Amino acid sequence: MHIPDGYLSPSTCVSFGVVMIPTWIAAARKVRNWLKSRYIPLMAIGAAFSFTIMMYNVPIPGGTTAHAVGGGLLAVVLGPWAAMICVTIALAIQALLFGDGGIWTFTANCFNMALVLPFIAYGVYRLISGESQLSAKRRWVGAAVGGYVGLNAAALCAGVELGLQPILFHTASRVPLYSPYPLSVAVPAMLFAHLILAGPIEAVVTALVVRHLQSYDADLLNVQALSAAPLPSTPVSYRKFWWALGVLIVLSPLGLLASGTAWGEWGAEELQKMLGFIPSGMQRLAGTWSHAPFGDYSLPGFESFWSSAIIYILCAIIGVGMISLLTYLFWRFQVAERKEQK
Amino acid sequence: MVGMWSLPSWLQENAPPPVPQAAPRRSSKRGFIEKTLHGIAEALKNEIFSESLASRSGLLQGLDPRAKLVTILFLIGIAGVFHHIFSLVLFNLWLLWLAKSSQIPVGAFTKRVWVVVPLFTGILVFPALFNVVRPGTPLLVLFHLSHPVKLAYWTIPCEVAITREGVVAAVLLILRVGASVSLAVLLTLTTRWNTLLKALSVLRIPPVFLTVLEMTYRYIFLLLHTSSDMFMAHKSRLVGRANSREGRRFVTSAMGSLWGKTAALSEEVHSAMLSRGYAGSPKSLLRFEMKRSDWVWIVLVFIIAILFVGGDRVLG
Repeated sequence: MHIPDGYLSPSTCVSFGVVMIPTWIAAARKVRNWLKSRYIPLMAIGAAFSFTIMMYNVPIPGGTTAHAVGGGLLAVVLGPWAAMICVTIALAIQALLFGDGGIWTFTANCFNMALVLPFIAYGVYRLISGESQLSAKRRWVGAAVGGYVGLNAAALCAGVELGLQPILFHTASRVPLYSPYPLSVAVPAMLFAHLILAGPIEAVVTALVVRHLQSYDADLLNVQALSAAPLPSTPVSYRKFWWALGVLIVLSPLGLLASGTAWGEWGAEELQKMLGFIPSGMQRLAGTWSHAPFGDYSLPGFESFWSSAIIYILCAIIGVGMISLLTYLFWRFQVAERKEQK
Repeated sequence: MVGMWSLPSWLQENAPPPVPQAAPRRSSKRGFIEKTLHGIAEALKNEIFSESLASRSGLLQGLDPRAKLVTILFLIGIAGVFHHIFSLVLFNLWLLWLAKSSQIPVGAFTKRVWVVVPLFTGILVFPALFNVVRPGTPLLVLFHLSHPVKLAYWTIPCEVAITREGVVAAVLLILRVGASVSLAVLLTLTTRWNTLLKALSVLRIPPVFLTVLEMTYRYIFLLLHTSSDMFMAHKSRLVGRANSREGRRFVTSAMGSLWGKTAALSEEVHSAMLSRGYAGSPKSLLRFEMKRSDWVWIVLVFIIAILFVGGDRVLG
C-alpha cells in the first residue's frame, strides 16, 4: 500500500500535505499533553516497534509468508493519536532509508496508513470491546475486526487516490500522466487484494498478539493508563479568530478590482461569449436557483465601486453571521443533549 | 526406578523421527524464520553500505545537507511535471551522471533503480497497454474477434490491440517513477542518516519530531537485533519444520513480547533521560554552514530545472 513517487501528481501530494500538517500538529499536542516528558522515548521506541514488526514474515496457509502492517495493533495499545505519530515516523524512515514509498507521496501514504487506518481500527475496536475487562474476549475480537476494517479503509483510500489520477491529469491526447487506472479498476483491485488476503492476515495477527498480551501482561494493552489523568480543558479564546474574520470581511470587495470572472465560475452568458455555445447540461441546470436575495452579491441601485463594496461587506457580515448562528445553535443543542444524558 | 519416573513424558514417547528422511527437494525454499532473519540482515547491510558511500568525497557528498535535501525534494517535484518521454529520458541521464560524479557504483545504482522500477511498475501498468482496459488508438493489433464479448461489466472489443496511449502512458510512468526513485536513492546514499535528520529542520519540522526520529533510528537497530535473536533462538530449538499454525503463534508471540520490551525500554530510557537532566526540550549539537558552492548548486539546480521544464513545454 506504500504508493511510490510518480504514481500521484505533485498537486495531489500537496493537497494531502495540507490535510496532514494540521493533523500532525494536533496529534503532537494531544500526545505531549498526555505523556509529558515520557512522550519522546515512548513515541520513538513505539515507532521503532512499528517499523520492526512490519519486517516480520508471518506464515500463511499454503506455505508462503506475508507482512502485517500493525497499524491496528498500535492503535489498540497506544490509542489512535500516538499510533498516528508512530506510524508516521516509521513511514518516514521507510521512505528515506529503504525507498519504500515515495518522498512526495509520503503525505498521501500517511493519510492512508497513519490517519485512516489507526482511527478506523480504534473506533471499531472501542465499539466492540466497550468497557469490557482487558482480559475479555471482546477485546481481541474487537482488535481483529478493527485491524481488518482499518486496513481495508486505508486500501479504499489508496485505490481512490490512484483512481482519480487518470481522470484529473492527462495530456491533450488523453494519455494519463500518472497512475493509468480509472476508479473502476483501481478501487476493486486494491479492495480485492486487501479484503481477501491482507485484511485477514492483519486481523489474525492483531488478534493473536492481543491474546498473547492478555495472557502475558494485560496491562500492556493499555499504555494509556501509564499516564496521569488528562488535563482539565482550558477555556479557548476566540479573540484572534474574530479579528482575522473581521479583516477578511473588510477585504472581501477586493475581487471587484479584477475584471472577468473566477476560472470555472462563468455564468451561462459568459460561456456563450467564450465558447460560442452553452453546454446543454449547464443550460438545463443554470436556472435551478434564481431566488437568491442578493444575486451576484449586489442590489439594484448600488452599481458604483464604493457602493458595491459596501454591499459586499454587508453580504459577508450576513453570511458569517448566519453560519456562526447555526454553529452556535448546534453547539447549544449538543451541550443540552450532553446534560440530559448525565 | 526413581530415575525412570523423573524422565519427562515427552522423552518416553516414541515420536516419529522429526528430521525429514530424504533431503528436502526444494531446499532453496526458505521458511518464515529464514526470510525474517534475511530481511533483518539485509536492512543492516544496506545501512552499512550507504554509510560507507556517504563518507566518500563526491559531488553530492560535498554539499551542505540542507542544500542537498531542498534541491532533491524540488527535483522530485520537477520529475512530476514532465509531459514528454524525451525530456524524462534526458532528465534520467543527467541523474545517472550525478550518481557517477558522486562516486556511487553505477552497477549498484542501476540495479537499485532500473531493474526494480521497470519490474514492479511494469507489472502494474501492463494491463493498461491493451484497449480492453483502456480504449485508445491501436498500435499493434493482437487478434480479431468475430463479435464483441461481454464479460461482467467489461466489453472486449472486436479488435484486441496494444494502444498508442497505453504504451506512452506506461513508458512515462516508468521513467517518472525511475527518476523519483533515483533522486531518493541519491539523497539517502550520499548523506549520513544523522545529518539527513538534522537537515530536515530546514523544512521547519519541529525539533521534537526530529529528536523522536533520531531516537527511533537508534532503537530500530536494537529492536531488529532483539528480533533477530528471538528468531534465531526459535530456529535453533526447532527440529524439522514447524507448521504454519505454530509459526503464526510464534511470530505473534514474538510481536507481543517485543511490545512488552518496547514499553519497558521506553520507561527505562525516560528515567535515564530525567536523571541526566532532561527538562522537556531536546538540544542538538550539530551545526551546518552554507558554503558558496552550496548557493551556486541551488542556483544551478534551479536553472537546470527551468531548462528541462521549458524544453518539455516547447515540445508541446
